[in-house]
Amino acid sequence: MEQQAYWAIAIFLVIYGLIISEKIHRTIVAMIGAILMVATGIVSQEVALHHIDFNTLGLLIGMMIIVSITAETGLFRYMAVWAAKKVKGEPVWILVALASITALGSAFLDNVTTVLLMVPVTFSITRQLRVSPTPFLITQIFAANVGGTATLIGDPPNIMIGSAVEELTFMAFINNLTPIAIIVMLVYLPIFVFMFRKQIHTTPELKAGLMKLDISAIITDHKLLRKCLIMMGLTILGFFLHQTVHLESATVALAGAFVLLLMTGEHKMEESLSRVEWTTIFFFIGLFVLVSGLVETGVIAQLAARAIDLTGGDLVATSMLILWLSAIASAFIDNIPFVATMIPLIQEMGQMGVTDLEPLWWSLALGACLGGNGTLIGASANLIVAGLAGKEGHPIRFLSFLKIGFPLMLLSIALCSIYIYLRYLI
Amino acid sequence: MVTYSYDQGKLDIQESKDGEDTSFAIRVIGDDPQMLQGLKQVQRTFEENQDFDDVLFYAYPGHEYKIIVQQQYYDDFVTELFKARLLDSVARK
Repeated sequence: MEQQAYWAIAIFLVIYGLIISEKIHRTIVAMIGAILMVATGIVSQEVALHHIDFNTLGLLIGMMIIVSITAETGLFRYMAVWAAKKVKGEPVWILVALASITALGSAFLDNVTTVLLMVPVTFSITRQLRVSPTPFLITQIFAANVGGTATLIGDPPNIMIGSAVEELTFMAFINNLTPIAIIVMLVYLPIFVFMFRKQIHTTPELKAGLMKLDISAIITDHKLLRKCLIMMGLTILGFFLHQTVHLESATVALAGAFVLLLMTGEHKMEESLSRVEWTTIFFFIGLFVLVSGLVETGVIAQLAARAIDLTGGDLVATSMLILWLSAIASAFIDNIPFVATMIPLIQEMGQMGVTDLEPLWWSLALGACLGGNGTLIGASANLIVAGLAGKEGHPIRFLSFLKIGFPLMLLSIALCSIYIYLRYLI
Repeated sequence: MVTYSYDQGKLDIQESKDGEDTSFAIRVIGDDPQMLQGLKQVQRTFEENQDFDDVLFYAYPGHEYKIIVQQQYYDDFVTELFKARLLDSVARK
């Protein structure tokens, strides 16, 4: 390897270490890493810009705008309370219902956004029933990560994979990942019920109080809700059709966002744009440039060659290696930088003669998304829920979560191994 | 101790202890739009802050509301009712 490759590895490892240590905000660290890659001449500014995946960024920004406007209408609270009434205020079934809504929401929205919408209504319902919110919040963490696995837009790793591989369309993600996400959720739900059933009892009087709630009063702005539902529906339809109409998913999401802004008026624009998580967007930009240093200096090619040596180029062994490695890594480190590194590695494997990359992509997506359930630091949604729960006096401890999360994560990855083997490798 | 007064022709407010919290049962009499708007404004104030269970609103048919207020937010809640012109006066005795 050339001298520049060693510099690229050194910068990458130091930056990666700083991201894991969480001593400095990950966005600042990733951007400094990116600037170092350019400033030291490892990649030119032009090459660095070329490596930034604007489809990933556009998709994230578009969806963040749509969700920030829709959240104002009370739609998500309405859905949660409606479901709680449908199951007659029975806490165990409310737990199942809220987890299912979270999973469904996460499939089409960012996981963090989904839990941010679900946590307040969970506190509201559990307070009324006088049950602990903790079991509900823990199940929502799992549901968010499983639901996010199901679609191209559900979780950042999937957005990144979908953007990097043209053939992996929105429908391809639905066809390949939604079935296993549903299976994992169906296995998880009875486990949640069994684990938490004794902790969430309430009285018939409190249930009756919940049943009397007027859900029509929850929607704060019916006119805005109609506009949001129309644009959300059209945007999701656009995702289904994006390949047919030859549009990238980012174009669809940004079109949905800005047509919605056109319908709601200028006064919503400043507020919605300020709610875009710019720290996340710049984190992505930093990572793309950071990884470009490894790609351009041939480090990724060398790593791909080593991985092929290790598995002998066998597709079963390579898929399982990627699946389990991604899951274990994602349980402890941020899955976004991990996936940003793995994408060029898998692409390199393709250039080295691995003909069928599809099982490798699905292994990466499943491992990276579901691995986040392993520990409390495995995914952003986990940390957000734990942070909010702690603030409201219901702390979720690292070790108590690990005892539940790690076995459940291993179970889901075992299910994925069987799924990938049966569907793609025999 | 905080005391308050309000127009009893437009509002009915009942206060009770709910564990460590205080529970308010507020009914808007005669669908007064100003009162309803004021109550929505108070709800928005507490729903938009960073604390999720400081003040919890539950709406029932007939413009009845149950509001559970954590002890440390009692004064804030009463102040917001006053700011939204649901209360005529607030005093500490």
